[in-house]
Amino acid sequence: MASRLSRIWPTLSRVRLSSALGSRCVSQTPKSSASGAAVASDLQPVSPAAQDSHGHAEVSPFEKNPDFHGFHHHDSFVDEWNMRLAFFFGISVAIVVGGTFIHYLPDHGMRQWARREAERLIKKREAEGLPLMTENYYDPSTIVLPSSEE
Amino acid sequence: MLKVLIPTIMLFPTIWLTSPKWLWTTTTAHSLLIALISLTWLKWTSETGWTSLNTYMATDPLSTPLLVLTCWLLPLMILASQNHINPEPISRQRLYITLLASLQTFLIMAFGATEIIMFYIMFEATLIPTLIIITRWGNQTERLNAGTYFLFYTLAGSLPLLVALLLLQQSTGTLSMLVLQYSQPLQLNSWGHMIWWAGCLIAFLVKMPLYGVHLWLPKAHVEAPVAGSMVLAAVLLKLGGYGMMRMMIMLDPLSKELAYPFIILALWGIIMTGSICLRQTDLKSLIAYSSVSHMGLVAGGILIQTPWGFSGAIILMIAHGLVSSALFCLANTAYERTHSRTMILARGLQVIFPLTAVWWFIANLANLALPPLPNLMGELMIITTLFNWSPWTILLTGLGTLITAGYSLYMFLMSQRGPTPNHITGLQPFHTREHLLMALHLVPVLLLVTKPELMWGWCY
Repeated sequence: MASRLSRIWPTLSRVRLSSALGSRCVSQTPKSSASGAAVASDLQPVSPAAQDSHGHAEVSPFEKNPDFHGFHHHDSFVDEWNMRLAFFFGISVAIVVGGTFIHYLPDHGMRQWARREAERLIKKREAEGLPLMTENYYDPSTIVLPSSEE
Repeated sequence: MLKVLIPTIMLFPTIWLTSPKWLWTTTTAHSLLIALISLTWLKWTSETGWTSLNTYMATDPLSTPLLVLTCWLLPLMILASQNHINPEPISRQRLYITLLASLQTFLIMAFGATEIIMFYIMFEATLIPTLIIITRWGNQTERLNAGTYFLFYTLAGSLPLLVALLLLQQSTGTLSMLVLQYSQPLQLNSWGHMIWWAGCLIAFLVKMPLYGVHLWLPKAHVEAPVAGSMVLAAVLLKLGGYGMMRMMIMLDPLSKELAYPFIILALWGIIMTGSICLRQTDLKSLIAYSSVSHMGLVAGGILIQTPWGFSGAIILMIAHGLVSSALFCLANTAYERTHSRTMILARGLQVIFPLTAVWWFIANLANLALPPLPNLMGELMIITTLFNWSPWTILLTGLGTLITAGYSLYMFLMSQRGPTPNHITGLQPFHTREHLLMALHLVPVLLLVTKPELMWGWCY
């Protein structure tokens, strides 16, 4: 099935808006992958130069750009600015500002209010000599039940 | 709700109209801003009910932590995928991020849905981008098998759910959670009703996954690329837990007896999948089975239907989401350098990647549920409530905790300690991007220690 797809795919791919003819459809790790099963050889053309799965020659990007941050392989300007913005929006904005926002959120689920209210009611009832809690929330004499006709 | 949903939908124009050079920068920044706005959902000032309410969508203390987790995860997925997707043609890169953003949109609508049918449709809709990500961008030929297992296990569970929901609509006249939470308990006394009960829950049990119907998970998690593994482990499994918690409200009193076999399966699954973890050679497979183990505990907590069970389940879902995603990112960093997931091939990493060893250490400590991290708090609440239900469960959960600690330590020792093989010493240093990714995963886990009431749900 995969080989059939690889024959139809070049035709299908030409329908796309931006063409990328001649590029492989599937990014696969090279055959040296120890845990992968047999790589379907008709999907991967044998590349002449040793390339890693990132499509680059087996040279560390740190050779060309010692300040490589991992964001963009070829353009160090984009790489650096991507790093700065990712750190800014990720840490300064999301974690710091977001964390401060969460810290100052009002009483979550009214738990602190509930504790204060309970203490207030206890104080009030003890002062009036009432029991702390009664069985009936409503006064039973106010409840009118239907007679046993049903 | 719209203040997050509309920026998420506007991610699509951002993805397709940005210049290729700045694609990843803008999408990362945009999704982090969405994550910031999503934090406003955490404000819960009443003691009951729903906030951000309109007729179709609402949030409540159950869905809010999961929504924030979903919104937080998209920038992390983008950061994690940047390196391995970069060499592909630009339209394919855009397509990849589009799939991630569409997953985000569906998930927000799923967790925010008030109509159960909308939740169902979004639940099903998340299958499609995930299937495309697994089968198109996975790295080995097994990805096709993985996609098939993933799709058909979930569908086989969820088609009975559709029928069950239509029956529910038939009998109660509504499928809105806002209304159903106040409805009278249903008369559930016949065999047909028991099958209906099963139909309501099987889909979510498969998604969680429950041990017994978990076979799709190791395949899907292992064969997916890193962003696929992240979103699967962190959020899609939680869709199952969330669905169960919503449906449980109307399934009483049948659940008292019918939940029994599923609780037992879940508990047994903790032991079994934990033991399988101890024998794994494939790193991602180990993390995948550990997800099944943790989710077994969550399933047990939900099926018990006590306030502590529900709270523990939510806490464990959030904590596990972040930590499991962190572990998959770490495994991916090893994979991108050695092109292998075999643990023996990438050992002794602490010597050459010392800072990364710190991330491995913290992530594994969190995975084995070290106090005071929320992983432990959730597990403890679930174990306690299971003990209250039946004291014998402590044997299974205690053994499960022991085995969890065992395989987490095994994972750490196998990857970080021991002699560094010669072929490892030439590996690329860790990127700033990868360190940022790990920090953004683990700092929220640490921060949640300080304000856990965000995750306690509405029961506690």
